[in-house]
Amino acid sequence: MKKKVSLLVAIMMAALIVLSAVPAMAEKTVITYWSNDRHDETYMTDMINKFNEAHDDIEINMVIMTDDFENSILLAIDGGTAPDIIGQSVTLKNMVDYNAVVDLAPYIQADEEYQKVTNALNLKFEGLNAIGDAIYWVPSGQRSGVRIEYNKALLEASGFEGIPATLAEYVEMAKKMTADGAGKTYGIGFTSSSPFERQLEMMAQVSGVFYYDYKNGKFDFSGYKPFLEAGRELVAVAYPDQQGVDNMRAMFAEGTFALWGNASQEAGVFTNQFPITAFEWGVAPVPSLDGEIKGALQVNPNKGYLMLDACKNKDAAWEVIKYFQSEEFLVGYMEGGFDLPITSYIDERIDKSKMGRMADYSLLDYESVYPAVPTINLMGDDYRTQLWNAIMGHMEIDAAIEDLNTRYNAAYDEDISLGFIKRLVIEDYDPLHPSAGTVTWLDK
Amino acid sequence: MSNYVNPQLAPTTRPPRPVDKKMRLKESGGVAAWMMLAPSLIFLAVCSIYPFAWIFRYVLYNYDGIPAHTRFTGMRNITTMFADAKFWNSVGTTFEYALWKLVFIIPLALIMAVLLNQKLRGSSFFRGVFFMPTVIASSISGMIFTFIFATGNGILNGIFQNLGLISQPIGWLTDTGVVMAAVIIMSVWAGFGNYMLYFVTGMTSISEDVYEASRIDGANGIQTFFRVTLPMLAPVLKVVLMLAITGAFKDYEAIMVLTNGGPGTRTNVMFLYIYNLIFGTGANATRQIGYGALLSLMAAVIVGAVTIIYNLVAKKLDDVV
Repeated sequence: MKKKVSLLVAIMMAALIVLSAVPAMAEKTVITYWSNDRHDETYMTDMINKFNEAHDDIEINMVIMTDDFENSILLAIDGGTAPDIIGQSVTLKNMVDYNAVVDLAPYIQADEEYQKVTNALNLKFEGLNAIGDAIYWVPSGQRSGVRIEYNKALLEASGFEGIPATLAEYVEMAKKMTADGAGKTYGIGFTSSSPFERQLEMMAQVSGVFYYDYKNGKFDFSGYKPFLEAGRELVAVAYPDQQGVDNMRAMFAEGTFALWGNASQEAGVFTNQFPITAFEWGVAPVPSLDGEIKGALQVNPNKGYLMLDACKNKDAAWEVIKYFQSEEFLVGYMEGGFDLPITSYIDERIDKSKMGRMADYSLLDYESVYPAVPTINLMGDDYRTQLWNAIMGHMEIDAAIEDLNTRYNAAYDEDISLGFIKRLVIEDYDPLHPSAGTVTWLDK
Repeated sequence: MSNYVNPQLAPTTRPPRPVDKKMRLKESGGVAAWMMLAPSLIFLAVCSIYPFAWIFRYVLYNYDGIPAHTRFTGMRNITTMFADAKFWNSVGTTFEYALWKLVFIIPLALIMAVLLNQKLRGSSFFRGVFFMPTVIASSISGMIFTFIFATGNGILNGIFQNLGLISQPIGWLTDTGVVMAAVIIMSVWAGFGNYMLYFVTGMTSISEDVYEASRIDGANGIQTFFRVTLPMLAPVLKVVLMLAITGAFKDYEAIMVLTNGGPGTRTNVMFLYIYNLIFGTGANATRQIGYGALLSLMAAVIVGAVTIIYNLVAKKLDDVV
C-alpha cells in the first residue's frame, strides 16, 4: 500500500514539474461588442471570425440585441456586466451624463490612418456623436432618408407609372389601388413600429415641416396638421393590420400591398431577407405637400462604435474599433449593400456595381443631417406615438398638436431652467441646409 | 423495607433556578426556528422590502435612471397623477379587463374540472392539454395570438371566412369595438388550466361517501353539483377567486405583445402604462421612473383594496352560508 502511495505521489510531482515547464498559453483579451443591427449579422460575423483567427492577443465577442438596447446597456453597467463596445443607437447625452462612455478624441488624434479612412475629425455632429470637443463615436456610413418602395406590377395594373410628387396625388393613388385590389391587394401598408416616421414625417420634412423650430429654439408641431389629415385617408385604405416591420415587409414582398416606406436598409431586406422575385419593385423619393421640395430629407450617420468607461482593456477595445472602421472592413461593408458611404475616401474605393439595390438609395441633393434636437425629460407619449394616434382617430388632430406643443416646450423650459440642457437656436437656419447654420446655445 | 429514597423523586426544598432566557429559547426550539426562517426573511428583505423602500425613495423625485438628472419635485408627481387622465383611463380598462376575464375564466375552469373529474377515458391527457398554456411564457402567448387574430392573414378570420360565418375579416386587433374580446380570449386560454387544476385537486378531496349519499337521496347531476360539489369546493373557490382577481389586475405582458395597449389606449391596462413610463419609449421621451414608482404604489393600493373588499365579501358570504 505504501509503495502505491509513494508511486502516486511521484507521478503527481513529475506531472507538476512537466506542466510547470510548459510555457503558459497566452490568454486572449476578450472584447465584447453589443450591436442592435441584425441586417449585417452575416458580414459582421465573418469579419469578426477573420479578426479572431488573425489575432492571438484579442478576441471579439459580438452580441446582437435588438430590443430595449439602451436600457439593457445601462442595466449591464449597473450590474457590472457591461460590454466593452456598443453600437451607436443610444441617446448620447444620457450615456455621457451617466459617465458611461469614453471620449475617443485622444485615440483619434493619435491615429492618422484612422483619420484618413473615417474623416473622423470632420464628421462631428453636436449632440449626435460629439459634445463639445469630445467625440464619442465616428460614423462608418449613413442610412439614406426614407424612400417609397413600390410594387411596379400593382401600380401598372391601376394605371400608374411611378410615385407622384404631391401628397394629395399619393393618397388618391393608394385609394385607387386599394379599390382595384377588391380586398385581395391594397394600395399601401403601415407597420406598427414607428409608422409615422416611416412615411408621413419624412413627407413633412421635405415640405419644410420639422418638429423643432431651430430659429426660435422651441418645439412646434403645428405644421403636421395636413399630413395627419392625409394620414387618416391613407389608413382608411391601407392593409387592415399594422403588424411588426418584418411581417409587413414579408407581405410587401408577397405583393399584398403596393406602397411601403423605409430607408436604405430595405435594399438588403428585399434582396436577402425577403427577396422579391415575383414582381419588379421600384424606389422613389417621398412626395411633398405641394410637389415642391422646401426642406432637407433627414439622413442618419450610423454604424458608429462607443467605448464604455467600464471597459477594462481600452487599448484593445480601440484596436477593435479601428478594425471595424478600417478600409478593408468598410469597403466590404458598403459593397455588401449594408450602408451608404459617408466619406469620399471609402466612396472612391468601393465597386458600386457590387452594391446591388443599394445604388437606388444614393443620396438625393436635398438630403442632409439635421442638428440633434436637445434631449428633454418628457412626460407622456412621444410625438411620433401621439401623432399616429391622431391619424388613427384615437385623438383629435388639433388637440394632439396642442398637447405636444405644451408638453414638449414645458419640459424643455424646465430642463433649461434647471441647467440640464441649453436652448438650441440657429438664427440663420435654412430648412434645405439644416446643418449649415450657426448654432447658438442659450441659457434661457 | 428499604430506607432508600430516590433523590430524583424526593421532595426538594431547593429554590427554583433563575430562568435563563437563552436556555429557554434554545429549549423551545426558537433558535432553530429563526435559523430556518432566516433564508426566507433575508429573501423577503432583499427582494420585496428593499425594492419597495427604493420605490418610496423616488416618489417625490423626477428620476430617469441617470443620477445626474435626478431632481426633487416635491408634490408634483402626486398632483400629476390625479390629473393624469391616461392613468385613470388605464385603471378603468384594468377593471373592465379583470371583470370580463373573471366572468369567463372561473366558470370555464370549474366546468372543465368537473368534466375531467368524471374519470372518463383520456381525462389525464386533456388535463395536460388544458394546463399546457399555463407553462408557456406570457410573451409567447401574445405572439401566438398575434398570428391567430391578424386581420388579413389571421388564422381565426380564415376559419370564420371558410365556414362562411363572416364576409369581411374582423379587425380583432385594430377595431376598438372587439379588441378587448381578443385580449380576454387570449388571457382566458392562457390561465384557465391553472385554476382548473386547483378545482380538480379540491374535488379529489371531497369524500365519495357524500356523493353516494346524494345518489341514495335521488339527486341528479345538477343537484349534486350545486348542493354537494360547489359547497364543498367553497374554500378552494375562495382561494382561486382571490388568485384570479389579483392575477387579472396585474396582467400586462401578453397584452403588451398582442396590442401594446392599443388601438389607441383601448387595452392599455394599468401595469402596461406603468411599464412604459418606467422603461421609456420613443424619440426624445425619457424614462419616468419617479412618476412610475408613484403609480406603482397607487396600483398596489388599488389591487390591495380590491383584494380586501373581496375578502370582506367572501367572509360575509361565509357567515350567510
